[in-house]
Amino acid sequence: MEEIKQKQPNQFLIPAAIVIAGLFVAGALYFSGTGSTPAPVVNNGNAQPVAQAPESTGSTDAVRPVTNEDHIKGSPDAPIKIVEYSDFECPFCKRFHDTMNEVMDKYGDSGEVAWVFRQFPLEQLHPVKAQAVAVASECAAELGGNDAFWKFSDGYFDVALTNNRTDIETVIPELVQEIGLDQEAFQACFESGKHDDRIAADIQNAIDTGGRGTPWSIMIGPDGTTYPINGAQPLAAVEQLIGIAQNTQ
Amino acid sequence: MKYLRILVAVFKRPYYLILAVIIASFVFSVAVLLPSFQLLLIVSQTASLGELLSLTVSLYGAIASNFTFVSASYTIAIALLFGMNVALLTFYIQKMRTGIKGLRSTGLTGLGGLISGSLGIGCAACGTFIFTSVLTLIGISGVLAYLPFGGEEFGLLGVALLLYSVYSLTKKITHPLVCPIE
Repeated sequence: MEEIKQKQPNQFLIPAAIVIAGLFVAGALYFSGTGSTPAPVVNNGNAQPVAQAPESTGSTDAVRPVTNEDHIKGSPDAPIKIVEYSDFECPFCKRFHDTMNEVMDKYGDSGEVAWVFRQFPLEQLHPVKAQAVAVASECAAELGGNDAFWKFSDGYFDVALTNNRTDIETVIPELVQEIGLDQEAFQACFESGKHDDRIAADIQNAIDTGGRGTPWSIMIGPDGTTYPINGAQPLAAVEQLIGIAQNTQ
Repeated sequence: MKYLRILVAVFKRPYYLILAVIIASFVFSVAVLLPSFQLLLIVSQTASLGELLSLTVSLYGAIASNFTFVSASYTIAIALLFGMNVALLTFYIQKMRTGIKGLRSTGLTGLGGLISGSLGIGCAACGTFIFTSVLTLIGISGVLAYLPFGGEEFGLLGVALLLYSVYSLTKKITHPLVCPIE
């Protein structure tokens, strides 16, 4: 006697799988859009964590107003400002730095777009070095002004191996010499810890605006609308966004 | 080789090919556009439909700029394999009329592959893996420093699970359940 052991397929299996997958996608969207921050640890340059950033509130409108204290490439009066929160040891920041330089080549001279650089060193991912380079860039700005800051950041990203692989003990002194900064004054600044508060404030503002990783940028349109740019988005997308922001004038 | 023939036979049928392409496109779009979800929402409130579509298309370029070679590779692989999985599962259910026991384990492997793979996506920009958020939520984000690929392991695991799921489904289609003689 043959016994047929077949059963009818469970009619709820596929809908259940779709619901589970849908829930997972929804969860992914939640984490992508409003999830908590990887809580960077602010470091004083001596590998001693001194503070831990609180969780994100996630509103791009919380972006700190751009002032003369900021590192700005382009006209400070440009109708469109792209505020970038960056980590010198992040490979995607290196890519996006090139993208932003291309954006500025096209829109900077005409005064249409300004690029504002703020610090967002991710201590968990790039311990010690990201914070140290952020401090070095602030010291370059202090000793040589805005131009020195941009020469330092362009120069650093040009040679950075990223992901904590850059030999900063060689690269930073070379850049300081290349830019023509006073090396003793630079060393004194670097070891002073005087820029830690500023860097901590930048990190805090990145988190307040919803930044969860780097590069994290906010485009501020002529009408004040803020547009989040998450990660190293391609040049074409940034240009599209500039066009959209210009149309809101 | 016979498994390959089965795959070709299934995907020669337009219904299953289109189903796989639609599912794969959806998974790929979610992976690439996920980091820009908030941006697209904001832009949709003021921009024209044409501007929104142009921006969306340009954001697909993020697969090159916002992913490492490894993460871009497994993101594409996960999308394709998940699309194939759903199409094969549908074929299996519709054509073989099999029992729930075999289906459940294969379906769960495929779903496990999607979940594991998804932990490795979101976009590869520093600190923005979904996995990072999950770890942060439970307060152990520092564990990332101890993972050799910083979370990308889950994407690769996802590919492996989905590959096994495709193999398993194809095997079941090749050797359908029979009525055993007792």
